Amino acid sequence: MPRDEIPPGTLTMLILRVLVPERQLHGYEIAKSIEQLSEDVLRVEEGSLYPALQRLLIKGWVTAEWGVTRENRRARYYRLTSAGRRQLREEISQFERVMGAITRVIQTA
Amino acid sequence: MRILERCGEWSRRLWSLFTPRAQFDLDLQEEMRLHRELRARSLEEAGAGPEESRSAAQRKFGNLLRLQEEIHQAWGWNWIDNLGRDLKYAWRRLRNSPGFTTVAVLTLALGIGANTAIFTLIEQVMFNPLPVERPEELYSLGDDKIGCCWGGLVGDFSVYSYPLYLYLRDHTPEFSEVAAFSSGDEVLGVRPNGAQNAIEPFRGESVSGNYFHMLGVRASAGRLLEPEDDQPNAPPVVVMSYRAWRDKFAADRALVGGTLVIKGLPVTVVGITPPEFFGETLRSDPPAIFMPLSMEATLHPEASLVKHWNEYWLFAIGRLRPGIQPAQVQVRVSAELRQWLSDNYVADRYSSDPYIAGRYIKEIPKQHIVVMPAAGGVATLRDENKGALALLMALSSLVLLLACSNIANLLLARTTSSRRQTAVRLALGASRARILLATMTEGLLLALLGGAAGLWMSVATTRGILLLAFPDAQYVPIYTAPSPAVLGFAFAISLLTGLIFSAGPAWMSARTEAANPMRGAGRSASDPSLLPHKSLVVLQTVVSLVLLVGAGLLAVSLRQLKTQKASGVETEGRLMAWVSLPRNQFPSQRLASFYQQLAQQLAEIPGVLSSSFSNSAPISGGTMLEPISIQGKPPVPSIANGKWPGENRVSAHYFETIGTRLLHGRVIDERDTATSRHVAVIDQAFARFFFPGEDPLGKHFGVQTVQHARDYEIVGIVQDAQYRDPRMASYPTFFLPLLQEEKYVDTAEDLEQFDSRYITSIQLRVAGRPEAFARPLGQALAAIDRNVSFVRTRTFREQIGRNFDQEHLVVWLTAVYGLLALLLASIGLYGVASYLAARRTKEIGIRMALGADRPNVLALIMRGGMRPIALGLAIGIPAALAVGRLIAGRLYGVKSYDPLIFASASLALVMSAMIAAYFPARRAASIEPMRALRSE
Repeated sequence: MPRDEIPPGTLTMLILRVLVPERQLHGYEIAKSIEQLSEDVLRVEEGSLYPALQRLLIKGWVTAEWGVTRENRRARYYRLTSAGRRQLREEISQFERVMGAITRVIQTA
Repeated sequence: MRILERCGEWSRRLWSLFTPRAQFDLDLQEEMRLHRELRARSLEEAGAGPEESRSAAQRKFGNLLRLQEEIHQAWGWNWIDNLGRDLKYAWRRLRNSPGFTTVAVLTLALGIGANTAIFTLIEQVMFNPLPVERPEELYSLGDDKIGCCWGGLVGDFSVYSYPLYLYLRDHTPEFSEVAAFSSGDEVLGVRPNGAQNAIEPFRGESVSGNYFHMLGVRASAGRLLEPEDDQPNAPPVVVMSYRAWRDKFAADRALVGGTLVIKGLPVTVVGITPPEFFGETLRSDPPAIFMPLSMEATLHPEASLVKHWNEYWLFAIGRLRPGIQPAQVQVRVSAELRQWLSDNYVADRYSSDPYIAGRYIKEIPKQHIVVMPAAGGVATLRDENKGALALLMALSSLVLLLACSNIANLLLARTTSSRRQTAVRLALGASRARILLATMTEGLLLALLGGAAGLWMSVATTRGILLLAFPDAQYVPIYTAPSPAVLGFAFAISLLTGLIFSAGPAWMSARTEAANPMRGAGRSASDPSLLPHKSLVVLQTVVSLVLLVGAGLLAVSLRQLKTQKASGVETEGRLMAWVSLPRNQFPSQRLASFYQQLAQQLAEIPGVLSSSFSNSAPISGGTMLEPISIQGKPPVPSIANGKWPGENRVSAHYFETIGTRLLHGRVIDERDTATSRHVAVIDQAFARFFFPGEDPLGKHFGVQTVQHARDYEIVGIVQDAQYRDPRMASYPTFFLPLLQEEKYVDTAEDLEQFDSRYITSIQLRVAGRPEAFARPLGQALAAIDRNVSFVRTRTFREQIGRNFDQEHLVVWLTAVYGLLALLLASIGLYGVASYLAARRTKEIGIRMALGADRPNVLALIMRGGMRPIALGLAIGIPAALAVGRLIAGRLYGVKSYDPLIFASASLALVMSAMIAAYFPARRAASIEPMRALRSE
């Protein structure tokens, strides 16, 4: 099944979004969640996921902490911070503005 | 909120620098390995083969190393790795050219050292708080402009009588405590009890009983003074400074609780101050002995200051209660002062004289006290040196700026000669930012090396400046060891310097076009970019010429001043001594017989041609100024115009001994005793000022009010005793016999008269070297009474020299900065010449190939180097002439355009410039033509 690349600049928003329901996910779970929620349309490049996660850590939008998976493997779990929640709201509203505008342009053309 | 997040971001980045890099990478790898495995499993479940799914998962990650690099960069770690590499590279480059590195580091050390030294002084003098408890609560009553009330109320009070101090202390609840102290300049003759050694001079300060408690100082041994010690009948006790205890008594524990004899009075030493304590005033030679104010009465039984309500001799300092505003207290104490003044002056004193009473009533409302912060202590040193320190700081900054520009030149020459290398690096893909940073790093490394050397130099420099500024001091409580603030300053100034001087060269090297140097372009003989460097050398030449000429003029003038044929004093074969008569050992009725004995003993010293003694020492500038009234003339408007004549009381043979000629009448001699007719001798300036166009001989005048206008008859006129500074107008002075006295209503005047009859100075005219008479003089004094404290001796020539300490310092500093500027100009020229030579390598090769010989090339480069010097001289000589005219008023015995000084300063400049240009020229001349042509 063909999958689409995530448009540039939106990966951050998606990562933050899948972390919203007060849960801790590790990298693979984040990638999986994005793919599942997009009904397998979007594909998360691992090569960009991990640098993105580090950038989120630097910005202080997520925190990370080591834990164990159900299969007893060590894994780094990410959790949203309140600053991250604010950032997410901002990015979503900006994204919707832009998308709405693009949609209007496409439909009238 | 945003800012807070940003701060968080930076702190996270900073913190990350301290996490171990290897662990970070391992964590990252583990995280991604998990991802890969889970991904592979999910692919497998979807139906792919195990091999296939693993490689697919791997593929999706791409290059792991690149990923890691990307993440490191995101955290901002790459610059620290680059910095390490740049530092290593810069270090190698510096080590490979030791000549350049040495010159640059030395130049920087000079510049940074000078600035750090001055900063040390500024920090110590201006900003260091007193080593006492909560110094910020301390406030002094009065702003230290001494001269409150000697002879009138002048408005701004800062000196108090003991009763006035008590009144202020007890009526100002805003202060938790107010302490009083005397000026601390008193020299006490001290000897350990029983010991037969000669008396040693110790600086003493009288302090109120609550002084140490108010400051919050604790004894390092024994106890400090307490209010009980400051009672009229308390047993006499003193506290010694830690320094005196350590240096003079080898920190002997037995001294604490032991006895000392001070001015003939046995006293108990109850304790020692803490080591860092130097009193409430930052000054050279701080007091060694602190005694309670009440002891003053014991030491001066006949004429004690403590008891007098209008004898002003105390300063006051208080500790403000928390939360009280200084302005509020200022209003309060000023009101108290006025209340006290009207209680005392108008009610008690002069009520018989309506004129004076009326004047006081008018003046009292203007009296006030300024309450000044005293966290740094009472500010004698600070006030005296504020201007000088600011000037020094400005000069030092200028020197540093010159040093910076020189290093910039040198660096530029280096970056020019390594243009090819830079071009290669650029061509291989180095970014311009990296090239820029690499050059900057080299600059910063140089600056830090220079800063470290400068810090080391500044310690020596600070000591040197202190020695020059206080040639007489045995101890100045200023610490030359660099404090954290000084370290910080040196570090910051080094970084700043590095940034300034490497910015230009770094920019130039980053601008290098990758292709041009490799093609061999940009090697033309004339290069417009050299203009700024040359003008810099011109500027430095001008500055150093002006400073050198200034130093030369001032130095010659100073020599003339010191060897002057002073009017009114002979300098050859003359010695003076400072002595002090303890008042409790020398009651006033003993003076007559003592002076007789003294005259006899002095005359008997073999080799003494004539001898005398006086109340104030000649050539030392310290005479008492007195208001006078002249018979038959309107009252002298004394206070208003400040023209009070100076008074000195002298023995027979005084004028003969110091070398002042008598012009009319007679001098004071043995006939003038306490009971004979009261006479005075005046000098020419006195005659000119008070008797213009008259013959003063036979006229009468007196000290103080008109009732005293008949007191003294003028019997002689002597030549102007202008022995202090020949550049200043002479000051009217009158001389009285030592023991003749009047009765004054004003108790303060009475007290002054009492003191004026005690001698402080002895003068000898001798055959042979005057220095040799110090010992016989001491023995002669001891033969009369061992209680005479014999402070020190000096020849007249020495003493005249001492009057020019200030000038000395100025000459030294101008000379030092002049030489510094000269050195910098030479280094600058060296830089320019090297740059020039480096850029013209190929041209030189061509010239030599075409037949130019080595001397030709040498001359070529030298000529190029000397041109800015010539221009600098052309501008500098008129500039120095102008500066010479500006300081002409301070010069003595030398013309402001003295050709010899101008010639030698110019010669010094040219010589050092030639030396500076010679080395690069020789290097250029030693180029092998073929190599030069083939090299680029």
